[in-house]
Amino acid sequence: MTEQPQDSALLSVENLHTRFRTSEGPVHAVEGVSMTVDEGEIVGLVGESGCGKSVTARSIVGLQDPGEVVRGSIHLDGMAVTDATDRQLRRLRGDTVSMVFQDPTETLNPVFDVGEQIAESLKVHDQLDSQSLLEYLHVPPFSSRSEWHEYRERAIELMAQVGIANPEDRVDAYPHELSGGQRQRAGIAIALASDPDLLIADEPTTALDVTTQAQLLERLRRHNAERGTAILLITHDLGVVADICDRVVVMYAGEVMETGPTERILEDPRHPYTKALLDCLPQRVDRGDRLATIEGSVPEPTGDRTGCPFAPRCDQATAACRDGEISTVDLGDGRGTVTCGESSTLEAHAARSGMAASDGAPEPGSATSGSAPGGGPDRSTPPLVELEGVSRRYSLANGPIERLLGTDDTLRAVDDVDLEIRAGETLALVGESGCGKSTLASLLTGLEAPTTGTVRIDGTPVGTAADRDADTLADIGVVFQDPRSSLNPRLTVEQAIGEPLRSSGWDRSRRRDRVRELLERVGLADRHATSYPHELSGGQVQRVAIARAIALEPSLVVLDEPVSALDASVQSRLLNVLADLQADLDLAYLFISHDLTVVEHIADRVAVMYLGELMEVGPADRVFDCPTHPYTRALLEAIPSLDPGGSTGTSLEGDRPSPVDPPSGCVFRNRCPMAEPKCAETDPDQRQLGPVRAKCHIAPD
Amino acid sequence: MISYDYLASRLATSLAVTFGVSVVTYGLIFLTPGDPAEIILSQQLNRQPSAAEIEAFRAEHGLNDPVPVQYLHWLTDVFRGDLGSSYYSDTSVSTLIVEAVPLTLELALAAMLVALAISVPAGVVSAVHRGSPIDYASQLGALLGVSMPNFWLAYLLILLFPLKLGVLPVAGAGSFGHLVLPAITLGTGMAAVVTRLIRSSMLEVLDEAYVDTARAKGLRERIVVYKHALRNALVPVVTILGLQLGTLLNGAVVVEIIFQRPGLGSLLVDAVFERNYPVVQGVTLVTAIVFVATNLLVDLTYRYLDPRVQLGGETA
Repeated sequence: MTEQPQDSALLSVENLHTRFRTSEGPVHAVEGVSMTVDEGEIVGLVGESGCGKSVTARSIVGLQDPGEVVRGSIHLDGMAVTDATDRQLRRLRGDTVSMVFQDPTETLNPVFDVGEQIAESLKVHDQLDSQSLLEYLHVPPFSSRSEWHEYRERAIELMAQVGIANPEDRVDAYPHELSGGQRQRAGIAIALASDPDLLIADEPTTALDVTTQAQLLERLRRHNAERGTAILLITHDLGVVADICDRVVVMYAGEVMETGPTERILEDPRHPYTKALLDCLPQRVDRGDRLATIEGSVPEPTGDRTGCPFAPRCDQATAACRDGEISTVDLGDGRGTVTCGESSTLEAHAARSGMAASDGAPEPGSATSGSAPGGGPDRSTPPLVELEGVSRRYSLANGPIERLLGTDDTLRAVDDVDLEIRAGETLALVGESGCGKSTLASLLTGLEAPTTGTVRIDGTPVGTAADRDADTLADIGVVFQDPRSSLNPRLTVEQAIGEPLRSSGWDRSRRRDRVRELLERVGLADRHATSYPHELSGGQVQRVAIARAIALEPSLVVLDEPVSALDASVQSRLLNVLADLQADLDLAYLFISHDLTVVEHIADRVAVMYLGELMEVGPADRVFDCPTHPYTRALLEAIPSLDPGGSTGTSLEGDRPSPVDPPSGCVFRNRCPMAEPKCAETDPDQRQLGPVRAKCHIAPD
Repeated sequence: MISYDYLASRLATSLAVTFGVSVVTYGLIFLTPGDPAEIILSQQLNRQPSAAEIEAFRAEHGLNDPVPVQYLHWLTDVFRGDLGSSYYSDTSVSTLIVEAVPLTLELALAAMLVALAISVPAGVVSAVHRGSPIDYASQLGALLGVSMPNFWLAYLLILLFPLKLGVLPVAGAGSFGHLVLPAITLGTGMAAVVTRLIRSSMLEVLDEAYVDTARAKGLRERIVVYKHALRNALVPVVTILGLQLGTLLNGAVVVEIIFQRPGLGSLLVDAVFERNYPVVQGVTLVTAIVFVATNLLVDLTYRYLDPRVQLGGETA
């Protein structure tokens, strides 16, 4: 089992099985994964959440605890990880392999400054076998101040290398004082400190903005080119894969479905799962068309299954697929392997004919424009919601004394925004995190009061939620970002959906009927009514949140990042539900998202926000095809494209400035590739340029 | 940087708490049956005092005024720095307290050290080896420590060490040896509480992603546990340590009586039995101030332990 693999791959995983013992029986997270990573190669490991990607990665560095590797072998630079002693494992981690984890808010230690955390990693690499606790605790006689100081200096260099601005300053910062992007950069600096041969990055950019993601991917690519560091990139985002990976490994339910060069996988996927996964992506479908979906859900990893794990969801599955032993076929010519029982998938066919076009979805391209969400805005009626000169500022003073001393800073969350939403349209609000999108939504729903400006609903100025009458309140439904935390865990689905009905005086039996009707509308079964949120999947919980939002028949639903926490296949099903609801109920949507591929698919109009200000507002077609504002252009450039080799990048450098101390003149000018001197002097006005309104001096008329 | 507003508001609440404590004790004293004049005089004179003698005593100590007036007198004196003097010896209460405080402080600190010396290793080892025999042993020990009354433990210790083995003094104060048994008696109960707290806090922290980041660097497990995890696990523990000080001062009363150590505890108990009101009031006031000040200190320590803590809306 532990014999040396024939080829001299840097990493070779053979038939890996990792299992977790739980009170409900063993969970087979990884079921026979085999893969290799060669020196200097970038390999993408893709699949939906729960498919065993992360467990595979953690097994490689020996961090699978509390799970255990029950079968198979992992060889890293010739050493068997599964048999390694603690000391050997430490050597591997400090020298050969490093790991970048997913959520940088949780992976940095909150009580040590980043300099210390990076310096530690450098020191470990230099002195692998002599680690004394007192030395690392900085206890004076055992630890040398000057030595730590040297490591700190080197940490500053490393921080500069990974693109942290002002590293001399930031070295003393604690993780909570950094932005998400800076934190993940610090995480990468910790990983690169040991100059590893293999860098395993587990969803390193998933929690970040698209512009930050583009910058980080560029860093990784550059590091790979300059230092020859091999990278195993775990992601659910095929756009990211297309962007930087040489090779792709597709996983499903703990098994490898398909491997091959990125180009081949994206252009000529052979496995039905790979095809289905690609078809779910909004990028692959024309604007307004229905998205393909994968019916069913990932099987429970109980370990008693036979045949292909994807067979229950595969429309080409045969009896052999369900019971037989599925063999892995090498496609030859370095085109990778496919693990599929259906022989037809092995024949080359350029056109992806056997796609899972379920859900009654028309083939891409053959759809009529009539299926576009909502059928477009109606411009003859007055706007449903109107924001006029709306601003929201927060005072950062600690109390009356600091206010008196004049140390009062103001954070401009939303600054002088004019925006209208018409009946039946989908207005998408996009921008990087912290740009004020969610605050704007709170102003609209009345959860916050504007500092200046007016919010009008149906032409009437309204106050905060506390001042609004029942009808006005019922007119706007809200779906929050994280459905798990926005639903009371102690209420059943029926109680949660029925809550708004109850407070507007519906009696029990009417509520019951209405909840049943709503469940059907969002695609849930009657039996879900008695479930609690924790018994439902992420997609189902979000459906419940949507049902609750539309319970009182609003004319506008505010959707704050409704699909960003979901897998591609679940996301596409939910977007289809939203499109159906809009068509049936004539809903208007305010769709807040940082995912521009989703926005492009669903929006009629797009509003782009930066640092609390609206940069550009216009029809989606126009904004996406021919962006007016340089910021919009930069955002669009940063979207990873699915064209293999089609390199994406961003012209945006650095982090966005603090909303407490915005740049003079145009707030975007210090990151704008086209900035001119006048941009620093005067704040540009909103200008109407054809169908688009933009806030820029230099945008062409 | 700690904001002025935060400090100002914390000081104001601390003052209010201390004031409240003094009002309540004053009220309680006067609700307890027994006339101090009678009790004190009969002790001093060794006979039943006459009505005139009682009247003279009451007049001298202002006991004939209505209770609120008496309280106001006491309070204005306190603001002048005068805690009054003992009914018995005319020694000023301040002197009595100043003599007693170092002894009690010494005991409390020693007990705290005993508690930490036991609980930190026990809690950490218990969490790291969760479910192992060593974990069960430490949990059982903690359960025993919590359930055992400290007066009982004190007598056991006295039986074992001075009486059976002939080491360490039975009672009194003054040397290091005198401190050992009272500190162990007082410290074990607290050690038991804190062990359980550190264990659960460590278990939580060991599941955090940053612990894996530390492991992935190639750090030794010992450094991962005692540097990266423990520092985070101590944050909630420190609050409890502050609150435990109350229990500690409480326990000091019992322990000081058993071991016949002079200190705030024995001073207070004697004063209560003798209806020596000025002493009771003075000791309670000082204890309240110590307690409130310690907890203020604990909150300020947070800032050092956990840089994310924002004291009173301070922006990071």
